Amino acid sequence: MSFITWQYLLFLPLVLALYWRLPGRWRLVLLLVASYFFYACWDVRFLALVLATTVIDYLCALSIEGKSPGPVPVLLLALLPAAWLGCCSLALPASGINTIIMLAAGAVGLAFFGAHEIIRRLAPEKRPRLFLILSIGFCLGILGFFKYFGFFLDSAHNLLTFLGLKPNRVLLQIILPVGISFYTFQSLGYVIDVYRGHCPACPSLLTFATYDAFFPQMVAGPIERGKHLIPQLEKTQVFDPVYLQDGLRLILVGFFKKVFVADNCAILANYVFAPQTPLNGYWAVLGVVAFAFQIYGDFSGYTDIARGSAKLLGVNLAVNFRFPYFARNPSDFWGRWHISLSTWFRDYLYIPLGGNRGAKWETIRNLAVTMLLAGLWHGANWIFVLWGAYHGLLLILYRVVPALRSLGDEKSASIGKGILAVALMWVLTLAGWAIFRSANLHQLGLWLAALGHWQTGLSLPWVSSSLWLLIHVAPLLLLQILTWKSRDETDLRLLPWPVKGVVYALMLLLIVSSTEHDTEFIYFQF
Amino acid sequence: MKMTRWFTSAFLLAVLLLGLGELGARLFFAADISGRFEYGYSPDAGFDERRDGVVKLFRAGGRRFHPQSFQRQRPDGTFRVFVIGDSVPRGPSFKGAYPWLLGKELQQCRVPAEAVNLALPGYGARRCQVVLKKSLEFQPSLIILHVNDSNKYEDEREYRRSQEFKTWHPRNWPMKVFIFRRLYEAKVEKVFWPLVPEQIRAKFAARDADAQVAASTDPEEVKARVQLAKATTAASVALARENRIPVLLITQCRMWPDGSGSFYFEDHGLDALGQSLAGDGVYFLSMKDVFAHLPEGRAYFSDSGHLKESGHLLLAKAIVRKIREAHQQLGLTAFKMEAPFCHSERSEAK
Repeated sequence: MSFITWQYLLFLPLVLALYWRLPGRWRLVLLLVASYFFYACWDVRFLALVLATTVIDYLCALSIEGKSPGPVPVLLLALLPAAWLGCCSLALPASGINTIIMLAAGAVGLAFFGAHEIIRRLAPEKRPRLFLILSIGFCLGILGFFKYFGFFLDSAHNLLTFLGLKPNRVLLQIILPVGISFYTFQSLGYVIDVYRGHCPACPSLLTFATYDAFFPQMVAGPIERGKHLIPQLEKTQVFDPVYLQDGLRLILVGFFKKVFVADNCAILANYVFAPQTPLNGYWAVLGVVAFAFQIYGDFSGYTDIARGSAKLLGVNLAVNFRFPYFARNPSDFWGRWHISLSTWFRDYLYIPLGGNRGAKWETIRNLAVTMLLAGLWHGANWIFVLWGAYHGLLLILYRVVPALRSLGDEKSASIGKGILAVALMWVLTLAGWAIFRSANLHQLGLWLAALGHWQTGLSLPWVSSSLWLLIHVAPLLLLQILTWKSRDETDLRLLPWPVKGVVYALMLLLIVSSTEHDTEFIYFQF
Repeated sequence: MKMTRWFTSAFLLAVLLLGLGELGARLFFAADISGRFEYGYSPDAGFDERRDGVVKLFRAGGRRFHPQSFQRQRPDGTFRVFVIGDSVPRGPSFKGAYPWLLGKELQQCRVPAEAVNLALPGYGARRCQVVLKKSLEFQPSLIILHVNDSNKYEDEREYRRSQEFKTWHPRNWPMKVFIFRRLYEAKVEKVFWPLVPEQIRAKFAARDADAQVAASTDPEEVKARVQLAKATTAASVALARENRIPVLLITQCRMWPDGSGSFYFEDHGLDALGQSLAGDGVYFLSMKDVFAHLPEGRAYFSDSGHLKESGHLLLAKAIVRKIREAHQQLGLTAFKMEAPFCHSERSEAK
């Protein structure tokens, strides 16, 4: 189920009405059922993967703290995903779940159970680390198989073909489960935090399963930390009208960004980055600017709706965007864009690799590895790796070139320098989006080549389309100016309430005026 | 007090503003918004039937009628002519269009004529038929149906738009609110269509009736649309004849440069359609016949299809001649119909 469907607009009030009427523990039951239903609306089969991730990380976290349940509960929990698939195949014969899939799920469950039991019998001081490795191994194994297996298989095939060999092509159609990267990283982050002692292991499977599958943020983030979200879920909230007020505001701003800004910009971006579109320099620039606002409106809009939905349930989710296009340097950009992912990579990869504590070349290596993997996280495609490499390069250059560091430095820069730095970073970000949006290197090459041709030729007239883009970007920029001082993109608290009222009414009108172009959220595919 | 505790004052103000906007629109512009979202397929939009027996034509529901009025009950002895068609008969101005000029011409011939211009820009056969059905309620003495084949595209597009938000499915709920729908529509018509090229809209906009129809260049589909327009015209004629109302078909022609600095006229097969329908109570006048033989025929056209005021006058005179030819069948026997029977034709003869 997507946030921008009428189903969600019925689902959410129903969940809220029940949630605030139920007593303590039952609220979690409701949230879990609602979250699983929310996810199952896409594909009921892939709930087995959510269950698998939940069971693995729940058990490993408990085992890290030496609170592992006995073998029978572990075995039963390990076989839960296979049991779910069995139920699906019985209830939905057309779901395509066959015996082989069920056996494979059962085998994975048994393998986990076996490994878990082996580790449990080892010396206590070895166990935490091995349980952590077990969790990371299984979770990344699932993610790797469903997201990257086909990609690496194809890449290996292409490489062998390039080397003059004639490998047999293995065809394996694997569907990418929605949001797998998000919930896998969230779950992994929790286990690592438990291992580091930053967060206690959650003793309740119900609470942990709800944390892992919390519907507002499950499929596209923000990637929550256990220590932030689990205590909020455990606490029995008392309804406060502020939840309603803030929740509705966040949802309104989210819909505005998604429906009015992103979906309208998408029309131009999709045209420019479609195969065989005749491009000139104007259209190449127009397309990438349109995509920049599309992806920003799309993803930050999703996050705002997620935060608003959670807020209505009395839960605060992490801020994921903070005026990213006003960043002054690459480091600043990653502190403003998809903050929950960039901090995840920082805390669980960059710092463990050594961060910037070692020699300069070590910092460069750490940045490069982190950004390459951050690129790959976005999708099983070399273009995303290239995008990660590009941003890694920007971060490295910013670190090693003093002139750039001086220009982008927030503290010492004058206003003029600040504007120049923001403008330069904006252009660099656009170049990154051109890489990100291209389907492959060939298309990226065509886009770059178009920058060298400014004749009209076969291209469509671009001036009116630029106006279309401006009409949809200007209100967003105005909103950012209005919220700039509050440091929260959705917070209009510094405005007088009559002005806020007019802004809300206008946003609603703009949303409704754009309902003809509904498109799916971009980040669902990651 | 309780509400302000649950909702912020700003939120309540926003709801109030939108509520007042909606209420105001529904209270003060009720007539204007009638049939607004039928896009020309509303049976009554633009016809204001007043209690005093007067019917006023006004701009509403996607119908940009020239403001006119007439008695609901046709006065005895009045020869009431309704002209139904598209932007060509609607003319460059109300008094510069052939329906008005026809009325004047007939009156000069001492015919107590009342010509009403029911033509609407962009209306093709399907929507003209809706107007014709309504006009039959007002006892016309003659219906002039201006047949053109260039608006079948608009007819189809507007039909799709009229169906777009019809059901009570929850996804259509916002569009039941007038101000939302009006803004949505204004954005589509005034911003989306003019600014975003059709090639882009056709491929990358999720729902766009304009681009969808425009993109359907499949020859079979286009042919089917032309056939539908012709069949609808025939059905409209049959409908009028069922009500024993005489019909005069005026078939549109288009003027194109022939490459040698001269022009030629083309009827797109409409003359054949007119001839095939002509017969009992159905008369036919080809615009091509009126203009093509004139040495400076093109001087009467403002573009390939629309007429200048001089062209409208010429067409009005041609219609008068046609009426004269059929004056007995049209019940105009009481009037002097011998040729030249009126001032304008006499002056033309001189």
